[in-house]
Amino acid sequence: MPPAGLDNLKHIVVLMMENRSFDHMLGGLSLVMEKGKQKYPKINGLTGNESNPDLNGTIVKVQPNAKFQGQLDHDPDHHFPGVDLQIFGTSQQGADRAANMQGFIKSYATQDTSIEQSHAIMAYFPPENLPVLTRLATEYAVFNGWFSSIPGPTICNRAFAHYGTSYGNVDMNLFFVQDPIASIYDRMIQGGRTAKIYYYDQQSSTMEIVNLLKRQPQIFGSYSQFIADCNGNTLPDYCFIEPCYNDHPGPGGGQILASDQHPDHNVKEGERLIANTYNAIRTNQELWETTAMLVVYDEHGGIYDHVVPPKCDPNFPDGRSAAADKTGTGVAFNFDRLGVRVPAILISPYIPRGTVIPGTEDPNGVIYEHACIPGTVTNFFLKNFENRTAREKNSKNFLTPLTDTLRPDDDCWVFDL
Amino acid sequence: MKKKYKLMQKVPKSPKSAYNHGRFISSLIEHQIKHFHEVEKSLAKPGEPLTDISKIKTELHASKYLQKMTARLHPQGAERPQKAAKTKKAVKPKRSRSAAKRKPRAKAKSGRRKKE
Repeated sequence: MPPAGLDNLKHIVVLMMENRSFDHMLGGLSLVMEKGKQKYPKINGLTGNESNPDLNGTIVKVQPNAKFQGQLDHDPDHHFPGVDLQIFGTSQQGADRAANMQGFIKSYATQDTSIEQSHAIMAYFPPENLPVLTRLATEYAVFNGWFSSIPGPTICNRAFAHYGTSYGNVDMNLFFVQDPIASIYDRMIQGGRTAKIYYYDQQSSTMEIVNLLKRQPQIFGSYSQFIADCNGNTLPDYCFIEPCYNDHPGPGGGQILASDQHPDHNVKEGERLIANTYNAIRTNQELWETTAMLVVYDEHGGIYDHVVPPKCDPNFPDGRSAAADKTGTGVAFNFDRLGVRVPAILISPYIPRGTVIPGTEDPNGVIYEHACIPGTVTNFFLKNFENRTAREKNSKNFLTPLTDTLRPDDDCWVFDL
Repeated sequence: MKKKYKLMQKVPKSPKSAYNHGRFISSLIEHQIKHFHEVEKSLAKPGEPLTDISKIKTELHASKYLQKMTARLHPQGAERPQKAAKTKKAVKPKRSRSAAKRKPRAKAKSGRRKKE
């Protein structure tokens, strides 16, 4: 018999942010001390001694000096060759090289940054500077081992969240879905369920353009519609929310800030979007008790994380390959390694405070990646759906932190915006 | 009647200086534009002029193009954008009398701010 948290679950909401690594956003949590001990010892964050060499060979340690804006105004490289350098510490290819997470500064230094500027890639936020993400990570469930699906950029990683595969793509280029693998939205609708992608507004729009917006505009809504659906108890079974991707004028002469946290957009505005989305669910008691909300980042954005991305299980392949001339490294990629670790937090009143799902640091840890999103949603709402990759079918269920026990209303926070 | 909550976490506002629609577009937005341009090409009637996306340099330029194309594909998305970030107002319980007398400051919702 499933726990009450799953039994009562009616809605899954995924908010996918942009381009920040786990250590950059949450790594400082493991350095928080209380009464001489680590306050959050289970979180696989930083020790403070993690380092990378710069181009002069100077060893540069991680520093709690991440800034909300202006520090990463040269957008750190997160395309396939750049991430390959970040993970392996060298751009030389070969079967004998080992992933060591020693190429982040080297990679950033190739982007017209000074030696000093290149050190910014090692910066992380003190937890008190991110009150929303810190609160949610420590109040609900944080995943120590959630990785981007590909060591590459946004579009191919987001594709894994929609389709469970990127159809062999490792870049930002447009791809057309010609395979018979349906998106999670198609599957849900075909299965008699409801699903929607909420983009922020028309000026920001969506990253799922050709494959979904053009073909199926009915599965889209705006963020204002999401809020209305929360307030009106008309939320679909599955919801995917996109943040605002650009600064633009708002209605009535106002200004709308990008809230995606993509460098160099202000991180505080992303905090406010996360808080606002959480509040929309949290302040509707019926919705709150029947919804699980996942906050996850699409990829690390070229920013340092200390955990080596694991290899994918060869028994459950994606089944595709990116040719050598497509990867930018001169070597083909067989979708056999995950990308860099990203923040992922699951929120529900059925999750005990301080839940930490172990990752690669624990022999019994569980590895998550974006294919877990359609995998979990499909398995939960549709029970079975045959036509998808072996990788997605074998992906781990991210709803496991939900328990039998509903936390009292007074035990769950609300954000004051 | 507004519901009172016991545990409230204050969320700082973004600074006014954060807004810059003249910022050059990132690789992400550049590719978003390219993808929309493919849509524009596929929808164009013979002889219909296409947008010159090479002139889209800033986030403001990008937002205008994205709005035009999105409105074409999804006109429903234009519904009441002012309400985009509004949620039910949460209030702290047990405010002191002196605090209650103070005039509340206007709250900027996520992504929304008054023009300077």
